[in-house]
Amino acid sequence: MSTVEHEATTDVGPGSSGRRWIGTNVPRKEDPKLLTGRAGYIGDLTVPGMLHAAVLRSPHAHARIRAVDTSAARALPGVVAVLTGEEALHHVNPMTSFCAEPVPQHAIAVDRVRYPGEAVAAVAATDRYIAEDACALIEVDYEVLPPLVDPVEAMDPGAVKVHETLDSNVVFHRSIDFGEVEADFTRADHVIRRRARWHRMGAQPIETAGAICSYDPFTHDMTVWSNTNFYNFLPWSFAGMLGVANNRLRMIPCPVGGSFGSKHLINKVISIAGSLTKAAGCPVKFLEDRLDNIAANDNVGCDRSYDAELAVSDQGEFLSLRMKIVDDYGAYFQFAHGQHGNALAQPTGPYRIGSVGYDLSAVLTNKVQQGFFRGAGADPGNFILERLVDAAAEELGIDRVELRRRNFIQPDRFPFTVPTGNVYDSGNYEPVLDRALELAGLESWQAEKERMRQQGRYLGIGLATCQERTGYSASEWWILYDKPPLPATSTPESVKLDVDATGNVRVAIGCPLWGNSPETVVSQVVAEEFGIDPAAVSVGYADSTSGALSAGPGGSRVTIMLSGAARGAAGTIRAKMQRIAAHAMEIDVADVECVDGTFQAKGVPSTAMSMADVAMRAHLFMHDNPAGEASGLVETFTYDHPFSSPPTADRKDMGAFYPMVSHACHIPIVEVDPETGAVTVLKYYVVNDSGTLVNPALVEGQVVGGIVQGIGAALMEEYIYDADGALGTPSFREYLLPSMHEAPEVIVEHRETPSPFTEYGVKGVGEGGRLVAPTAIASAIDDALKPLGVWIDELPMTPERVVEAVASAADRMVTG
Amino acid sequence: MKPAAFAYLAPSSVEEAVDRLAEHGPDARVLAGGQSLVRLMNTRLATPSVVVDVNRIPDLDHIGADNGTVHVGAIARQRSCELAPLVRSRVPLFAEACSQVAHVSVRKRGTVVGSVAFADPCAELPAALLALDGQVVARSRAGERVIDADDFFVGPFENSLAPDEFAVELRIPVTAVERTGSAFVEVSRRHGDLPMCGASTVVQLDEDGAVANARIALCGVGQRPMRARDTEDLLLGQRPADELLAQAAELTAAATDPIGDCHASAAFRRHLARVLTRRSLQTAVARARKEDTDA
Repeated sequence: MSTVEHEATTDVGPGSSGRRWIGTNVPRKEDPKLLTGRAGYIGDLTVPGMLHAAVLRSPHAHARIRAVDTSAARALPGVVAVLTGEEALHHVNPMTSFCAEPVPQHAIAVDRVRYPGEAVAAVAATDRYIAEDACALIEVDYEVLPPLVDPVEAMDPGAVKVHETLDSNVVFHRSIDFGEVEADFTRADHVIRRRARWHRMGAQPIETAGAICSYDPFTHDMTVWSNTNFYNFLPWSFAGMLGVANNRLRMIPCPVGGSFGSKHLINKVISIAGSLTKAAGCPVKFLEDRLDNIAANDNVGCDRSYDAELAVSDQGEFLSLRMKIVDDYGAYFQFAHGQHGNALAQPTGPYRIGSVGYDLSAVLTNKVQQGFFRGAGADPGNFILERLVDAAAEELGIDRVELRRRNFIQPDRFPFTVPTGNVYDSGNYEPVLDRALELAGLESWQAEKERMRQQGRYLGIGLATCQERTGYSASEWWILYDKPPLPATSTPESVKLDVDATGNVRVAIGCPLWGNSPETVVSQVVAEEFGIDPAAVSVGYADSTSGALSAGPGGSRVTIMLSGAARGAAGTIRAKMQRIAAHAMEIDVADVECVDGTFQAKGVPSTAMSMADVAMRAHLFMHDNPAGEASGLVETFTYDHPFSSPPTADRKDMGAFYPMVSHACHIPIVEVDPETGAVTVLKYYVVNDSGTLVNPALVEGQVVGGIVQGIGAALMEEYIYDADGALGTPSFREYLLPSMHEAPEVIVEHRETPSPFTEYGVKGVGEGGRLVAPTAIASAIDDALKPLGVWIDELPMTPERVVEAVASAADRMVTG
Repeated sequence: MKPAAFAYLAPSSVEEAVDRLAEHGPDARVLAGGQSLVRLMNTRLATPSVVVDVNRIPDLDHIGADNGTVHVGAIARQRSCELAPLVRSRVPLFAEACSQVAHVSVRKRGTVVGSVAFADPCAELPAALLALDGQVVARSRAGERVIDADDFFVGPFENSLAPDEFAVELRIPVTAVERTGSAFVEVSRRHGDLPMCGASTVVQLDEDGAVANARIALCGVGQRPMRARDTEDLLLGQRPADELLAQAAELTAAATDPIGDCHASAAFRRHLARVLTRRSLQTAVARARKEDTDA
């Protein structure tokens, strides 16, 4: 199937597709409970006899733990259990990590602390106040070691090692050429060279990571309530960490108060609450506070330096892309190099680029370890690529819009295989660009820019055209290893659907509520398949004992995958109901159709049975049903990745591992004050194509939210570690997030190029805003300060960096 | 983020409050709006054993004026001060400074006197008070003491109050006189954040348009709010042309001794001091020339 068969359409909504519910703005089912504070987060939950935990954290970036004296803490009334890292090992095993290298990570440090804020001891007490009082009574004798803050210094063979188990702090290095990189550079007329720096940022969900663990020492059952994602994907890994049998572990999901793609494991809180419940003999809640979360989370993203080159012909044709990357992973290697697997799904963006050279050094330092978060490694990838494209436009004297047009993959070329082997399912990029230019009204902004220049003010018009790879396959995590520890290829998604005897539909989904809208999406799909009202569909969440295998949200996949699972389950049950109805009405099953929740004879709507009639038969009247038809109407349907292939052994072809590819053009308008460095985003225009829209209002919410997060990435968000290794941004006074005051008006429009690989043609969209906005804003700052000769090669562009860029451009102009 | 245990006292009069402070001395902290103290207690950066909540003392929220002086009581909120016609018309600089403190919801709770007493070297109100030659009135069992702003700010988060003294009021001389203009300008990382640097300026011109009186104070550029007295002397008697203002900005920046942090290095703060001194002077002069004393 190719996209040619799927005519692109700008019509959003029902009618054009013949669908009734897919594509409509069904009110979000999750809203009422979220808006009225009734969602029931970990913080709201109480289990009888529950204790509260607090954690003592290392003030040092790097130190040996000589001794920990917990006697005074244990003696404090109200304290039930105190654990050092060593003691916790009696109850739990090291945390799960996905790396092949020997980099063990404990929830509470053993022998050595490797980043500031790493847990040194944990306390369970009758309330959190007492638990914190007890932490203050714990005495730790540290032997302070030299901290590694600069990744380049950490790469020095003589540098002190973060892990003695490794030969070097370069925990992983690999250099691969995909295609004929050398030859493409040799035949290039121009080589555009740029460096770029993308600083460390984090997801910073308002709800921190938390878990309640309850262990029964007699049955050895462990129950965990948490805001993790992977309870229906890797429950056995949690069981292994908690030292219980997987068939004795029950993990119950709680609504997640923000994740932004980060709460996949949250092993630290589960391990700490798990070890304390075993030690204390009663349930224990550990919910990180803000200081815990900022210092020691799982949600920090990439920290990269790029040396990059784009080979270009005289005509402006992009030939090859070569990158040398140093990525500071912090103290552990939790998800291995997965963030680069991610970037390699779309290193060449929407452009025809024949080959890619990728040289990665992953370095360990004394900082909190990287995790995954919205963008997941492709965010700096889009930044460097778009910067190179803009640089090429400038150096070749070709308009930035025209240069993009010349290099776009054309709509008749899909499915398109990029040099790394990943496949782009479908796309039509020029209409997106054209509409964005039109929507932004560029001419009037251009006039405004000139008017403001007369007043000594600097207005900038940004432009970026980027990809959003969506719907990952698990090979993303291990794709660069020759010998991966767990070369998994499945990323399933499941729902259990049942139609009860009265004809009502209930769905239990395998994934959590992570801040997105799985209940609404599933209701729309089920409503579409049965022709019923989405409001009538009941949706709940299946725990880890349900068998509803689910990789959950992440990699912009959940709407794609839930649509597939819900449609599969609904289709199976609908078919069974058709058989039962056909039998009852004594007509051929091929002559029965399901219309508006009624099973009727085709062309004879008066011969019909309601869903309730069919359902009651299915449940209670086996002798009236077709022979061999089991009673009841229940189906657990697992939808596997619809289009993926494994990598080749030499890894030069990574296979299709992220093939549903959305696209967007962003045009931000900014004003820059070159004296104070203040950047104000005045207006923001977006045209987005993420395939068939299930619910346009929800997509708009995702896009706008991602853009605001992208403004944070572009202008303010950054983890700063001082020269002595201390975390300089321990709270939201130092780590700055954009607020409503920094959010401009965002105008969003959609085009729909359906995916040929998925149900209804859905693609993902969850990361799109943040994948594009940072680089779009960088280009806007550039555009504003072009008269001053400024080139933006670093994010976030804080006021000080803007002023420095202006000053160094002035120096270059004087000396140059 | 739970505070250490503390005793909570809620006196109903100033006398009772100073008695409590006299009893508990340095172990006690006064709780007014709580916008700084509560955060510090929750993170255990402050662990007072006694908290003296003065919010229940009647008539401490007054904002009034007499004989050319504006009075602001200990629990008058920043938002009230920002909006009070009396403050806006008589000391417009102070109202303008209040309007730039944090966000409205914080200003509705945070007190003017509390912010001054907290003595954050980056905060707006201490710098504004210093530019306005304001005073802090302190009460203790020994009686009342009036402290000039310049003597009040000692260092980062350090004022010259004794442990048994309670800052009950600010006194701010009225600036709304002929040919006078003022301006408070700041640059912060985000709307509502503490500024990286702020400049507060009052300029009075003589009938010929030369500077008859200039007062300049900055925040974010040292251990405490800084009064730029050399710059004031430079401006005196001069016509405020662009070159003079640039020179004034340069001189002010040179006098700063900033402390760098994650938001801005010392060098960048000095740079901002130059930019903002110039901008605040330009605005203040423009306002003075219009003989429009209301900012």
